[in-house]
Amino acid sequence: MVRSIISMLCVAVLLVVGAIFESRFINNQFDDFHDVLEVLYEKIDDKDATQDDVYAVQENWLNKKKNLHAFIPHTEIKEVDLWLAETVTLVRDKEWTDAISKVEVLIELSEQIPKTFRLAFENIL
Amino acid sequence: MRMLVTFLRTFIIFTTLIIIMRLMGKRQIGEMQPFEFVVTLIIADLACIPMADVSIPLLYGVVSIACLFILHQILSLIEQSGRIAKRIISGKPSLVINKDGVDLLELKRNNLGVDDLIESMRAAGYFSFDDLYYAIYESNGKLSAMENPNRTEKEHSLPLLIVNDGKIESKNTELIKENKERVYAFIKAQNTTVKNVEVLTVDGNGRAYFKTKKQPFKILTYTLSEEAKW
Repeated sequence: MVRSIISMLCVAVLLVVGAIFESRFINNQFDDFHDVLEVLYEKIDDKDATQDDVYAVQENWLNKKKNLHAFIPHTEIKEVDLWLAETVTLVRDKEWTDAISKVEVLIELSEQIPKTFRLAFENIL
Repeated sequence: MRMLVTFLRTFIIFTTLIIIMRLMGKRQIGEMQPFEFVVTLIIADLACIPMADVSIPLLYGVVSIACLFILHQILSLIEQSGRIAKRIISGKPSLVINKDGVDLLELKRNNLGVDDLIESMRAAGYFSFDDLYYAIYESNGKLSAMENPNRTEKEHSLPLLIVNDGKIESKNTELIKENKERVYAFIKAQNTTVKNVEVLTVDGNGRAYFKTKKQPFKILTYTLSEEAKW
């Protein structure tokens, strides 16, 4: 009985610690990504963004997603990949209106994805 | 906190399944306690889905399985803590055959019928209700039986269920080359009606197990036609 209680408590503690780590990690990653996207947004808004700026954001995202794969469904990661890839082309062609709408979607995604990780009623049901 | 969300989701599914399994009675359980059955039922899927679908992080499966482990341990501990807790979680054994014969009410309480009991008895090596003194469906769904010490050495023949909970089993009646009218007449001769008969089985030697509501069972002789022997 003591062994059962100890093993159960160990697993419970591991789960709670893991959940706290996961929550902090996801929030940090997306907060950082959100800041990078805000900078890109401003540059596109000022019409002085270059393809290299988007590549830099893409590079930043590639580094993050290596670890995010362990926590986020890969379909959500793929969604960010696709929007970023489209932004590269639009900035290269200087189609600012379309490019800004793509970045707006990316900003929205970077806000919404961490929300699905919160301990909230809508996420449980 | 998706790990905790996954944990809570698993908890909800687990609790729902436990309640459903307990409500379903003993029919769905195969030699396991209801909560063990539920764990077995979902653990395979939890392991398989993230394994087969590479778009789902493996962590989701691991967290759910860990949650199941915790719930299993908690339920085992609660179950060991007292009889009432054990009764709520795993149910209690049901005495389905007593000295008066088959207890149809107890069978119904467990969502079982006479034919289910016959099946379990056959699996245990008994073919006639009066072969048993007592029969108990354990909380894990297994049948435990105490053989009737007065069990007579009789000519072996398989008993067929003719009346099951107030209804004549047409197929079995045809098998013994009888018609419903003759069955009705036999029942009438016992001063009762078909609706009042819980169980009537007849074997190839015409040995009938006859049990009416709230009355002890009787062993009677049913006169079969010559071609009906089996």
